[in-house]
Amino acid sequence: MTTAGGPSSSSLADVIDTILDKGLVIDAYVRVSLVGIELLTIDARIVVASVDTYLRFAEAANRLAIGSEPKGLSDLVSDVKGSGSTKSKTKGVLEGVGETLGELLGGSGSEREPAPRRRHK
Amino acid sequence: MTSPEDTDTDADDNNEGAPMAVIYVYGIVPADVQPEADATGIHEAPIEIVTHGDIAALVSEIDPDQRLGTPADLQAHARILDGTSHVAPVLPLRFGAVVSDRDAVVNELLAEHEDEFASALEELEGFAQYLVRGRYVEEAIIREIVDESPEASSLLEAIRDQPEEVSRDDRMALGEMIGHALEAKRETDTGTTLDVLAPLTDTVTVREPTHDEDAVQIAVLLEVDRQGELEQTVGDLAARWDDRVTMRLVGPMAPYDFVVAPKPED
Repeated sequence: MTTAGGPSSSSLADVIDTILDKGLVIDAYVRVSLVGIELLTIDARIVVASVDTYLRFAEAANRLAIGSEPKGLSDLVSDVKGSGSTKSKTKGVLEGVGETLGELLGGSGSEREPAPRRRHK
Repeated sequence: MTSPEDTDTDADDNNEGAPMAVIYVYGIVPADVQPEADATGIHEAPIEIVTHGDIAALVSEIDPDQRLGTPADLQAHARILDGTSHVAPVLPLRFGAVVSDRDAVVNELLAEHEDEFASALEELEGFAQYLVRGRYVEEAIIREIVDESPEASSLLEAIRDQPEEVSRDDRMALGEMIGHALEAKRETDTGTTLDVLAPLTDTVTVREPTHDEDAVQIAVLLEVDRQGELEQTVGDLAARWDDRVTMRLVGPMAPYDFVVAPKPED
């Protein structure tokens, strides 16, 4: 297995899970000059157990091949969830680092570098 | 260095009736951090740094009348902070932090909390957050659950090829059984992951699942120069779980899961 590449950048889902309810809250620090700006964002939490979920699990079980026939159902399964459930089992770990960070440089084709740079001391 | 005034005399902002820009704050960094000259944040505004003594805030101007929260906005916020975490410690603010002007950033945010920010940044020096995420491979994990449970197997026999109207109760029962089994597996597999990570760091936070088939969501605070070890560790686990869990390692990112806001003053 290859070890090149390193970790991946955050997907939109990662970002939503991370920046909406984690991190320092500005109103704990600033009171007078707060600007209430309208956020489009809604709570991203999901209800993990629900009737729909259960029926979906049952349907997924129903699609399993009878007996202990190994694998081979991937095409049947993959169109159910649309994304992700059966594809690229190990690929994620090895995705290239910094894909989106490069965009900071305005697409000028220069090398990838994160936005702020540390001045050497 | 400009000293902000009430008057609207900025060269590029003297449009009569144009909304006064306010200041979006991304996070707190050491004062020696410098944005790239052409780095832009939310709504493509240039990233600026507002310093006070040894600490500083990463900010950009924003139109207060424009709503925030598009995917591009969210990603801009994360990109600025995560990009910074490669090179310097950073205290990330939650998305949507806006104050009226640069003076407020200095006087209310930085000056007021100088000591706590400075010491937190010092503690974070050299560290960044990584996210270890695993998602179950649906077919594999459901097969595993059915194979391990005689009750589930017989329920599956009962609904097999039955129309949904006829077998609804059995379907519900089977689905619920699978749901509970998934919870148990999530707990076990999270424990396994924590064990595997333990030699690297004990600064970890287990996140709540955000998807039905989440197996593992653990935030890790680690020295950036030990990233290779983390990749190896997670890669080994990914290989071990090849068919049942899709593992991802995300980072380095700002330490969102490790900054704690103070309790509101009484």
